[in-house]
Amino acid sequence: MEKLLEADITEADDPGLESTAQPVIETRGITKSFGHVEALRGASLRAYPGEVLALIGDNGAGKSTLANVIAGVHASDGGELLLRGNSVDVASVRQARELGIEIVYQDLAQAPDLTVSQNFFFGRELLVRGFGRILGKLDEQSMRQRTKEAMTLLGAQVPSLTVPVSALSGGQRQAIAVARAVMWAKAAIIMDEPTAALGTKQTAMVYDAVRAAADRGLAVILVSHDIPKMIEFADRMAIMRHGAVVSQMPTDGLELVDVLTTMLTAQKDEA
Amino acid sequence: MNLTKTSPHTSAATFSSSEPPLAKRIVTSTAFMIAVVVLILILIFGLLSPNGVFLGPTNFRNLALDSAQLILLAVGMTFLLGAGELDLSIGANVILSSVVAAKVITFMGGTPEEVLAGNYSNAGVAILLGLLAAMVTGTLFGIVNATLVNMLRVNSFIVTLAMMSVGSGVAYIITGGVNVSALPRELQRNFGSADLFGVVPIPALIAVLIGAIAWFVMTRLRFGTHTVGMGSSIRAAQRAGINVKLQRMKLFGIMGLIAGLVGFIDISRFLTTNIQGHQGDALAAIAAVVIGGTSLFGGRASVLGSMIAAIIPAILINGLVIMRVGSFYQLVVTGVILLIAVGIDQRRRAAPS
Repeated sequence: MEKLLEADITEADDPGLESTAQPVIETRGITKSFGHVEALRGASLRAYPGEVLALIGDNGAGKSTLANVIAGVHASDGGELLLRGNSVDVASVRQARELGIEIVYQDLAQAPDLTVSQNFFFGRELLVRGFGRILGKLDEQSMRQRTKEAMTLLGAQVPSLTVPVSALSGGQRQAIAVARAVMWAKAAIIMDEPTAALGTKQTAMVYDAVRAAADRGLAVILVSHDIPKMIEFADRMAIMRHGAVVSQMPTDGLELVDVLTTMLTAQKDEA
Repeated sequence: MNLTKTSPHTSAATFSSSEPPLAKRIVTSTAFMIAVVVLILILIFGLLSPNGVFLGPTNFRNLALDSAQLILLAVGMTFLLGAGELDLSIGANVILSSVVAAKVITFMGGTPEEVLAGNYSNAGVAILLGLLAAMVTGTLFGIVNATLVNMLRVNSFIVTLAMMSVGSGVAYIITGGVNVSALPRELQRNFGSADLFGVVPIPALIAVLIGAIAWFVMTRLRFGTHTVGMGSSIRAAQRAGINVKLQRMKLFGIMGLIAGLVGFIDISRFLTTNIQGHQGDALAAIAAVVIGGTSLFGGRASVLGSMIAAIIPAILINGLVIMRVGSFYQLVVTGVILLIAVGIDQRRRAAPS
């Protein structure tokens, strides 16, 4: 376990990562309380471009809170968020998006009656040029085209772009949510338990999409309970306990028992 | 870009089936089905009415004139229902707006003696100011509704139920319970019962024009997407960064503006306010909107469907009167059609996904 804790991040020899890599996202000592509950007590992690970082921990360890702080859902009480080495202020989801950080919510946050492409651009609709722009006239053709491209990119399959998303399966909807995040994200995608409610086949479909997103050079932070799957699937793992990241390491050669030990017994370690 | 683990897939066909062709989409749309119902009704009454009076141009003119107000209200209500909101106070709004407009017209129209005699020396300006007053009153009424919904965080059903009472109460207070009548005849002659090219009633023309604009807004503009998106999932809309409170304000404002316009049309047709009337306006509009294919729970909206469905009550009343059957049956038939429409809507919602 000691070894595990020492195997901390910043290693340039991290197999498969750029040797000169600068983290896309870095948090330093993030704190966040809800009333009297200290959800985060100095959480620090780094996520690199092109990697899937699994964020794991026991219930109440602060995984979702940290993910939500990075995505601007919650404002942190203290600490620092760095985007490509620059300290940034992310007070809202909108601000996070402007910085290129997208979040895929557990419940997907889709409008079930809107079509696939309407959901892709919901709140960020493309408008035509010229006079129609003043009226807010939609450029439906471009939106459909870009949705199609984004879906194709991830190999996500849906019957049609003009059906309401309520007509699609859970896996398809999840894949759409991921594809949507990938299309907009410039830096990182945060995902909270993206496969929690899915069957085996649909889960595989979503993991494919997540991997494709990372291959696009984005940092993907994946909050998950499925540790064996994360050891196999993710590139690196950040383990949280009592509101802090107690360990970050590559998943190669990692044993489940080590992860569980760290997750359940590690003391706070300022990463 | 650095690829750590490669994507396991090679994307082939992203879309397993193509979209249904345009013709099929039209035929299966609620607007189309309701148009068929309307045509069938017209045919039935045409065949049953003595000498086919029902199909005569005069009757069509009456139908258009009689449906104009409900069409307008239904168009506004389509946006609200589509957004998952409801306005039960539109009848009260119509009354209040018409009262304010009538008061402005009588006040600006000339000396009290002239007005009493129905002789307005200043009719033109007075009528224009009356129209403005009706639209401003209606819009403000709607904005008050939205503000209350936003502030109290209570759903619009309760808020507008209360505002229905407040609105009619204020109308009674302003008028002392006596209708404002003897409005200038110019109002009726040049607007309320005027026809374009001698055939198309101006109020009906306005209803169709506003309906066309509303259809464009709903189907082609960002505003429409945000409206139904908010009705589909208000949480998703908020997370998408849409200011739902502001959107709600706009929607109720538009509904109010339309109610104000309807109030003005009302006094211009009858040259008097009708403070005891309009009690069923909100429910009639909601019924038309739901029959026309808009979901009662938001998320789906059809302006065209609402407009077509809003003609049904007028057809029924008209047809039944011509056939010398009591027009009261109209209420029964409208109710039955509404039940069928709600049933279809429910089945559609429960359809396997």
